Amino acid sequence: MRVLIEFVISFLSTVGFGLITNVPRRSLLPAGITGSLAWVAYYLVLQVDPGLILPNFTAAIVIGILGNISAVLFRVPVNIIYVPSLVSLVPGGILYLGMRSFTLGREAPTSQYLFNTLTIAISLAVGFVVAEVIFYRIKPILMKIVTQRRSPSHS
Amino acid sequence: MENPISEDELIATCGKVGKILLTSGAETSRVESTVEYIGKAAHFDISCHATITALFVGTNQQSRTHLVKVRLGDFNLEKVDEINTMSRKFVEGKINFDELKIAIDQIDHKVIDFTWPQKIFGAGVVSVAPMLLFKATWADLGLAFFVGIFGYLAAQLAGRRIKTPYVAAGCGGFIVGLLAAALQTVGIATSAGNIIVSALMPLVPGVAITNSFREIVDRNTISGVVRAVDAIIIAGSIGAGVVLGTSLCSLLAHMIGGF
Repeated sequence: MRVLIEFVISFLSTVGFGLITNVPRRSLLPAGITGSLAWVAYYLVLQVDPGLILPNFTAAIVIGILGNISAVLFRVPVNIIYVPSLVSLVPGGILYLGMRSFTLGREAPTSQYLFNTLTIAISLAVGFVVAEVIFYRIKPILMKIVTQRRSPSHS
Repeated sequence: MENPISEDELIATCGKVGKILLTSGAETSRVESTVEYIGKAAHFDISCHATITALFVGTNQQSRTHLVKVRLGDFNLEKVDEINTMSRKFVEGKINFDELKIAIDQIDHKVIDFTWPQKIFGAGVVSVAPMLLFKATWADLGLAFFVGIFGYLAAQLAGRRIKTPYVAAGCGGFIVGLLAAALQTVGIATSAGNIIVSALMPLVPGVAITNSFREIVDRNTISGVVRAVDAIIIAGSIGAGVVLGTSLCSLLAHMIGGF
């Protein structure tokens, strides 16, 4: 039940950010599904390992693989799937909290928050790199399926 | 060998393609590869170097280089997609160079956008952050939906009127802080802090900072660092705006309470 609520809210979040950043309409649905599956993965891993690195890393791998697959299927640049589906994972709120404590002159929370921001951003970026490495292994198989599907409809 | 496309025209078009892609929020490596693909399809050996603030395009046969200045812009991913579709068509040979040039001019001038109600709805939905589910109360999350809309609208309107960089984000933060603190003072909301973090989601540069690290990992160090610093300063101006908003609210509450 709880997973379902998380799924729905993160789906809405992703689609909403897609509306703000003006993604093409045909990629709203795949981006939303990618974003919400990544969030569910994040949530599930968080129950096992309550740290920052592993949940974000897993979610980034999910986004990376699903994003690349839907980029091939729907013929859009990958970044268009990445940007909206990242919105619920991304360390924006923490970065804001860090800069706010900086404005208020509080030293300890500033360094804590900024450190967390750095950790999350780096684990997401590394997750994407790993996902792309995995995807290049799947790509030939995927391309074969796609061309088989498309060729009968064209001829 | 006769080539129907003149070198100067090709370089100018490539510069325009790169500029649109960079200002709409594509990664630098993607910009470079798109421009070089177009060059290859037109039978020219084009090389392109893109950083987030400038773009150089030139052919390898001669020494002239075309320089395009770029300003950091908002995300407009639909333009990235349209340019991508056009360049792909050109590379596959479905359209010729003149058609490509016309299409790119059109994309440059066209305002591709969702309607305002759609965007407002989007901002509201983003403001209900999954991060805070089951941490904040449901009522607070519901309020964050509306506070987020006002913050987003304030930032957009300010961005249109005021050209000084970073002021728009500060205005958004100010409105969000003011409203959230006011709601808490009146007693409708339980925690202003949760509302603020949730409602700032559409404004905060989280995606930008993640993209900047992706660029750094991709060895586009300059672009990555520029994006990261930009994101940190945006977050700083949002933070300053929120602090101003909340303290203004507590000041007002104090004065009203004093009378």
